[in-house]
Amino acid sequence: MKLDSATSNKLKRDLLVSLFIYALPVVLMFLYFLLSGQRPWENWKQPVSTPSTISK
Amino acid sequence: MIKFIESVFQNLSVWGLPVIMVFAGIAEFALGLYENKWSKNERILDIVCFVVPKVVIRPAIVYFTLLALPVVLPGLKGIFGWVPFFWAFLIIAIGDDLTQYWYHRLHHQVPWLWRFHRTHHSAPYMGMAMASRQNLLYTIFFSQIYLTAALTYLGLGYAALFVTGLKSIITTAAHSSIKWDKPFYTIRWLRPVAWVMERLISTPATHHAHHADTTDDGVGYYKGNFGNMFFIWDVIFKAGIITRKYPVSYGTKAYRQEEWYAQFLWPIFKSKKKGSELAAKGPVVAEDVVYVEEERAIA
Repeated sequence: MKLDSATSNKLKRDLLVSLFIYALPVVLMFLYFLLSGQRPWENWKQPVSTPSTISK
Repeated sequence: MIKFIESVFQNLSVWGLPVIMVFAGIAEFALGLYENKWSKNERILDIVCFVVPKVVIRPAIVYFTLLALPVVLPGLKGIFGWVPFFWAFLIIAIGDDLTQYWYHRLHHQVPWLWRFHRTHHSAPYMGMAMASRQNLLYTIFFSQIYLTAALTYLGLGYAALFVTGLKSIITTAAHSSIKWDKPFYTIRWLRPVAWVMERLISTPATHHAHHADTTDDGVGYYKGNFGNMFFIWDVIFKAGIITRKYPVSYGTKAYRQEEWYAQFLWPIFKSKKKGSELAAKGPVVAEDVVYVEEERAIA
């Protein structure tokens, strides 16, 4: 049983739209940073994980 | 307050949701919402599908993902930890749910994938009992799990905790046989809320329609309404219908009450039921064959 061409075309079109939707929150976030002048990545320091017990 | 909400979601993801499901399932059963359709075969299948992924599959996936991610994405652990909570929540919510939407939709629209998802649709009832009912391979390859695990590794884990918790509640509630959304359609002042809600998230009305065994009544729509947490994807792709009604019957016309082990472990184990989609040399999609046979019988 094969995928009919109408379904195949609809799937391709919707998948293309989905790529745009995936990118949307990331694009909106950077647009917000651009407009607000915020650059949260500059002062951010990755937390250093410390061991819960010290072995001697 | 934030700490309290945080602990609620942490517990929800570990033991909270299964406990809610068990109690809601007991309530559904006590209310007679499974009618006489929860046979021994259905009971074993539902219980195996509820327990095995939680006890075996999910811990195994988490273990191997934790081993694989540092190899696949070396040196990138926590690199996006600076992303503010609001944006991280939005990125995870869209990324996770849209990925699951596609995984689900493709299993309906690509014929050779259907049999991996059929187990979820074979139940002739809705409710907590069937909410976790999935074929083993369908569960293992749940694509959104790996995406969200990768985003967690990259630093969006805190937001992922809330998204996955919220998503579990919405998708479980949409499968419930308790029609909790009904007051939103019948009480006048709640109708504007219903209008937004039914377009944004899955509700019993829209998701039950997806589990209907027919589309002939104008209520059932197993050819669409693919949304899991968000229904908005079906609105955008014009793949959904909203009727505010509930189907009369659920399941699939081609269901032959296949053995629980065949439904759970196909294609490793196959059904002995003749003509079944899960039998050796069975049809890829029997639905159309059944319809043709029915039409001939009527003629």
